[in-house]
Amino acid sequence: MMPYSEDHIALAAEYALGTLDADERVQVETMMSVDKDFAAMVDAWEDKLSALNQMVGSVEPRAEVWDRIKTAIGHSEPQAPLMLPDAPPPVAPEVTAPAAAEVVDTSNVIRLFAHARRWRNVASFTTAIAAALVAMIAVGVYQPDLLPDVVRPKPRVQVVEVKTPAVPATPSAQYVAVLQKEGGAPAFILTVDGATKNFTVRKVGAAPEPGKSYELWLISDKLQRPRSLGVIGGTDFTARPVLSSYDADTINTATYAVTIEQAGGSPDGNPHSAPVFTGKLIESVPPR
Amino acid sequence: MLTPAELVWLIAAVAKGDEAAFERLYAATRAKLFGVVLRILRRQDLAEEVIQEAYVKIWNGAGQFNPGLSSPITWMASIARNRAIDVVRKRTELSIEEEPAAMEVAADTPDPLARREMTEELKRLLECVGRLEPDRQKLVLLAYYNGWSREQLAAKFETPVNTVKTWLRRSMLDIRECLGL
Repeated sequence: MMPYSEDHIALAAEYALGTLDADERVQVETMMSVDKDFAAMVDAWEDKLSALNQMVGSVEPRAEVWDRIKTAIGHSEPQAPLMLPDAPPPVAPEVTAPAAAEVVDTSNVIRLFAHARRWRNVASFTTAIAAALVAMIAVGVYQPDLLPDVVRPKPRVQVVEVKTPAVPATPSAQYVAVLQKEGGAPAFILTVDGATKNFTVRKVGAAPEPGKSYELWLISDKLQRPRSLGVIGGTDFTARPVLSSYDADTINTATYAVTIEQAGGSPDGNPHSAPVFTGKLIESVPPR
Repeated sequence: MLTPAELVWLIAAVAKGDEAAFERLYAATRAKLFGVVLRILRRQDLAEEVIQEAYVKIWNGAGQFNPGLSSPITWMASIARNRAIDVVRKRTELSIEEEPAAMEVAADTPDPLARREMTEELKRLLECVGRLEPDRQKLVLLAYYNGWSREQLAAKFETPVNTVKTWLRRSMLDIRECLGL
């Protein structure tokens, strides 16, 4: 469980819902920049609530809007993340947390998604609920309820002495590798967090292999043989801190490969099939 | 509409400064994002400004997108919607009554989707919202779709702002429990 009070949780939820006032929104954004777990909680709320956008009709903006965007980006280079640091940046408070805390955090993310995935078709009354909800928005009938006075959220404010203002607000760089067959559709998407070297694997196109397991390997000319990064779980997301034992250069230049192994993964630490899907981290540094 | 995996590809290319990929990403997502912010801002000129700022932010921030944490369209829509909320919060603090007609117009609702068109995530969320008391359901949906402040919601529901605050807080905690967040 995340160690947040109901006040914090409600604050994160109301930020995503949009009902905070301007000052509170700034406060939440400040908290997000210094507290990665809190930021993840806000992101999770945004993710859940954004399903509602499916009900919003599309509206084409005028063509001039694109012209203005093009002009605007012409003056700004993409702020692509820098190369993986060998040492975690000293300014990010979460980096100093013990590795176990990272694991708890990521497993929670997995649990979230696994939960959503486990959820199966609801009874047909969902349609009726949705239609009713939409109809009710237009209805203005209201009976006041007797409720206790509000307890205004009192967020736990972390006082952080910021000596270099620009740095703590910068989220750690994320590196992406798309693992695929040559010329094929993406099968897995590997994301590496630049600061913690934690990685997640998202299954996007790979078909399940009954009775077998997908296993992820790191292949580097700096290493004598492929190193297992573990079996990719049955859920859509797998996250691990395994990469922390490799240096940044190895991580940046390695080929990431997925093999099909016996259920539960390779028994002897060596791959038993040719790589089925491979990819490298996408070079994120501008060439000049 | 491109698939999420295709959008992830495009965002990865945008992170490397690929302007053609950015144009494709814009073409694939602009109408959805514009629809979302126009509902909240209710003014074409403001919505266009917000969309412009949002896509510049997407261009600059593509390297920070983490496909392990959110879907591409969710990430992009959140950037646009947050910007719209920021704009509307600053405006309503200047004058809540600036556009009295806006609240009537905003009673319009999104068209219901056929069930087969809903994602599992939407059905699940609506099931949880549907468990709230009817007034609270309206409160949450008006807040999300129209970007209304607590003050605007209090006026709509003819109730003190503090009561609206309590309802919002309780509703979100109930939704959280129902979703298993």
